Amino acid sequence: MTSTYDQLVEIVTKLHNPPADLIRPDVTFAQLDVDSLTLVEISLRIEGDLGIRIEDNELEEDLTLAATTQLIDAKLAQ
Amino acid sequence: MSSTPTHPTLSAAPPPPPASPARAAVLCGLAGWLPPILVTNEDLSRRLDTSDTWIRTRTGIGRRHFAEPGQATSDLAVEAGRRALRSAGVGEVDAVVVATTTPDRLCPATAPLVAGRLGLTGAAAFDISAVCTGFVYGLASAAGLITAGVAERVLLIGADTYSTIVDPRDRTNAIIFGDGAGAVVLRAGRADEQGAVGHFDLGSDGAGEELIMVAAGGSRQRSTPGPVSPQERYFSMCGKQVYRHAVTRMTASARATLTLADRKVDEIDHFVPHQANLRILRTVADELGLPPERLVTNVESVGNTGAASIPLALADAATRTTLQPGERVLITAFGGGLTWGSCLLTWPALSRTDHPYTIGGTQQS
Repeated sequence: MTSTYDQLVEIVTKLHNPPADLIRPDVTFAQLDVDSLTLVEISLRIEGDLGIRIEDNELEEDLTLAATTQLIDAKLAQ
Repeated sequence: MSSTPTHPTLSAAPPPPPASPARAAVLCGLAGWLPPILVTNEDLSRRLDTSDTWIRTRTGIGRRHFAEPGQATSDLAVEAGRRALRSAGVGEVDAVVVATTTPDRLCPATAPLVAGRLGLTGAAAFDISAVCTGFVYGLASAAGLITAGVAERVLLIGADTYSTIVDPRDRTNAIIFGDGAGAVVLRAGRADEQGAVGHFDLGSDGAGEELIMVAAGGSRQRSTPGPVSPQERYFSMCGKQVYRHAVTRMTASARATLTLADRKVDEIDHFVPHQANLRILRTVADELGLPPERLVTNVESVGNTGAASIPLALADAATRTTLQPGERVLITAFGGGLTWGSCLLTWPALSRTDHPYTIGGTQQS
């Protein structure tokens, strides 16, 4: 996967610390037991680290890590 | 706002002699009071689809206090105010300021009633409405009365009874909020004294008005034809957006205050934010680069008490001797409005502070 995926995994791991064996591109935030407030914290950290803006309704619990990576990459390409 | 007037004609008081430090408001009394009904997470789990683990994980809150039936915000404010006056060793003040989102009535303000019940009839008295930022706005207003020479002593009380505006069936808000009151006494002094209230940063953004509100009851609803739904009479909050704003605004406001005071983060001995939610507080402290042990928090035992939260956290920390005279304390708040604010002060030597939790029916271990 891309370096964006690695950065996302690093942020999710730092803020939520899910079991390492659960982290795969097709896993959703809900499957990692990430709640809505943690999603806001993840959004803020992505914004700070990558210099993009993520709206509050863009990161949802049913999004996979791969889909989130695509969302970030699309914003980085803008 | 700075404690030092930038232009002499803007100051109501005569300018101090050049050699002496500027006139400033000095903290000289502190107290908190919690109402008698203790509500644990287990109590809430019996009537809501929630659990102790769920609440603690998301908020860091373990229990909170509720006012008794018939008890109003002024009743809590009087208890905290009386104890703060005793802590300061003073019987009279020139002004009573009450910061609250839950006044006894829509009209008049709660502060005159509180002043009268404290035997302070005749003192100037008014309310501050800045939701959870109320105490910081109140502190700036009280400091302004003193530095302008309008008052020599001010009693500032933050008091809220959120149990009266939160829907008890609302799982997201009923777990967060508690009732309580905290109060400080400020006196005229000098900027280089221990206890001097220093630099402020205050701000607002009305575009976020609907993120935290009670929709009905005010002139907007009263002038609008049609019935009012029961939900509109209750407090509502957009959790995700508020969380984002709270973290970013509190962090920026704390930084702005440090810049005004020409201080670095590592010069702050204690960071006392509005006790909204432990996760917000930890995130803000982390963003500021503050070591975790400098974060002062009591949200576990009181929940979010609105305008009372900062003085209650200060009273809790003062009685645990966490706060020592001369230490630098940074307070920061965020609330509905949206509003936010911060203040840097040095901690005073207080003669006596009652522990707020020993009064309202529970003991803090």
